[in-house]
Amino acid sequence: MKLVGFLNLRGISGQIAALVVASIVAIHLILTAIFFIHRPDQPDPSIDRGHNQLAALAQLLGTAPAAERPRLLVDIARAFPQMNVERLPPESAVAAADTDSPELRGLHRRLGSSYRIFSLVKGEDAGKIGIALPDGAMISAKLLQDSRQRPFWMGTWIVTLLFAVVSVTLLGLWAARALTAPLSSFAKAAEDFSLNGAAEPLPERGPEEIRSVAKALNRMRERITTLIDDRTKMLAAISHDLRTPITRMRLRAEFIEDDTHRSRMLRDLEQMRSMLEAVLSFLRNDRKLEAMTLVDIATTLQLVTDQFADMGHKVAYDGPEHAMATVRPDDLHRSVTNLVENAVRYGAEATIRLTVSPDTATIEVEDDGPGISDARKQIMLEPFVRGDDARNMDEASGFGLGLSIARTIALAHHGALSLNDRKPHGLIVRIQLPVRQQSRQSAA
Amino acid sequence: MATASPNILVVDDDRETRSLIAKYLRSNGCNVTVAIDGREMVRAMSDHRVDLLILDVMLPGEDGLSLCRRVRAESQVPIIMLTARGEDVDRILGLEMGADDYLPKPFNPRELLARINAVLRRHAAAQTASAINGATALTFLGWRIDFRLRELRNPAGARVAMTSAEFDLLRTFCERPGRVLSRDSLLDLTQGRNAGSFERSIDVLVSRIRRKIEPDPQDATMIKTVRSGGYMFTPAVDAVTTSASGRS
Repeated sequence: MKLVGFLNLRGISGQIAALVVASIVAIHLILTAIFFIHRPDQPDPSIDRGHNQLAALAQLLGTAPAAERPRLLVDIARAFPQMNVERLPPESAVAAADTDSPELRGLHRRLGSSYRIFSLVKGEDAGKIGIALPDGAMISAKLLQDSRQRPFWMGTWIVTLLFAVVSVTLLGLWAARALTAPLSSFAKAAEDFSLNGAAEPLPERGPEEIRSVAKALNRMRERITTLIDDRTKMLAAISHDLRTPITRMRLRAEFIEDDTHRSRMLRDLEQMRSMLEAVLSFLRNDRKLEAMTLVDIATTLQLVTDQFADMGHKVAYDGPEHAMATVRPDDLHRSVTNLVENAVRYGAEATIRLTVSPDTATIEVEDDGPGISDARKQIMLEPFVRGDDARNMDEASGFGLGLSIARTIALAHHGALSLNDRKPHGLIVRIQLPVRQQSRQSAA
Repeated sequence: MATASPNILVVDDDRETRSLIAKYLRSNGCNVTVAIDGREMVRAMSDHRVDLLILDVMLPGEDGLSLCRRVRAESQVPIIMLTARGEDVDRILGLEMGADDYLPKPFNPRELLARINAVLRRHAAAQTASAINGATALTFLGWRIDFRLRELRNPAGARVAMTSAEFDLLRTFCERPGRVLSRDSLLDLTQGRNAGSFERSIDVLVSRIRRKIEPDPQDATMIKTVRSGGYMFTPAVDAVTTSASGRS
């Protein structure tokens, strides 16, 4: 069973085995090809050429009348200086030795038995070869041997080895990539998983193991999405239905004679309303997006400042009177309102600051409250996390969705939200938004 | 009150909400009739004169939006929609259907009363209308105020954020250009006396509007202060034809 599983080509192990076999076959093919191209069993053609030329020259001299040889030698020396063909005085024959080297034999074969060939070992001619022409005259010449002396790295075997190493390495890299790429894409998909259903399902391809993992992950994603969708729908329905009783209570509160009671009741109802709004807007943010449009965001910030000032909070706006940016107006308003709500809850004074550069609009909401420790900053951005977990819910607290909604809105604008410390104490929430959005926009 | 005692028809399927709205409005000097759904609404409208219709979007049978369109096809009676959500889509849809205003639930009853008064006043003004009063959008010095979308856009086309009180006040100014308006009359024309507003609040609103639209808020040229105790909107105002309105 194991063996069959191992041999299954669709599994990872099977593919690795196939890969090894394929690389071995590839190396063999490459070796064979190189072998055939270089043909070490055949004489090197470049050596042949030198020998052939020398043989031809020797025959030319041998068949020419003795009187014409000096002139021929001059011509030859001019045409083939590298051969260094010269007349050899007869007494040199003493210094000559018949040599049995394969080159000389090859040359002898070409010239025929009427020529005698020997190598010279003495004097200035040492290293050259001598050829006795049929009539006894002798010449000396250099046998060109350079082609044999190729650099070692050009050697056939070395080239083959390098080829093999390179191809195996490349194959190995490719295979490793092919096998691990789906795994890294899984990791990425898991990181990117968001509930808005925008992410593509994982591609179900590759080795069998990987495909089944992809399938399982996709199924899990579907289940999670359905689960969340159901809960979202339920939460939205509850929040939605709560509006009717709140509307009734709002109306009923108008008939309460006692001013203190009425104002307290109205405050509670207002809190309930804003919590409902927060939940609904939190649930909505992943799905329906308001249309982007050009907005004078400075006026939005002034509006929020005025609204909080009217409620008796100390909120100031610090920034230009006008600043245009392409945003979702209601979302931006909600986002800044949430931040200022937090700021006046934890601090005595709040400042909304706007700085605009050609590309980015930076909105800062600053308070002089206790601030948030570095350790809690990340957690505070999560939904349903409140800054005052230990404290009881007072009239001002909500669900802990404010920051989380503000951040979602900033991200939906391709912007960012960060929490920063204020000196000496307090918190600065910074929203950075691109002034122009890449997507199509309407100017009017 | 624009009319001495306006006849208001409230259409809402929730019995308690319906009767509470009726009770609240009656205590504020309105004559109120109620209806559960479209059928009752039609019957009530044929029975007697209705000055204003308050229509819930979520109704059994024919929904509020469709009723709104039907009513609008036959009459000019002002309509305020009560929407379950304050979402943009519902809002625009409601106004496209011909509603004059909308209010998301849960609403502040005082806000409802203020809107009723504002809508009735506008309606009365439109009866004796010039071109400006009938328009759904006006322009002045490149600015554009759209009553349907309840938004103001500057000459660059950017939306300017305003509270509904600021918007109503600017609207009042735009509809009466070149006329001196006392704080008193501005209060009457916008919030109405019974909303518990004060003359000073008009000054606050004017300074906030100036900050948003005036080139130099310290030296106002658009909304001028008149020494005798009032304001005047100086720019020339033009009506925008409906075909040019609307946004992308």
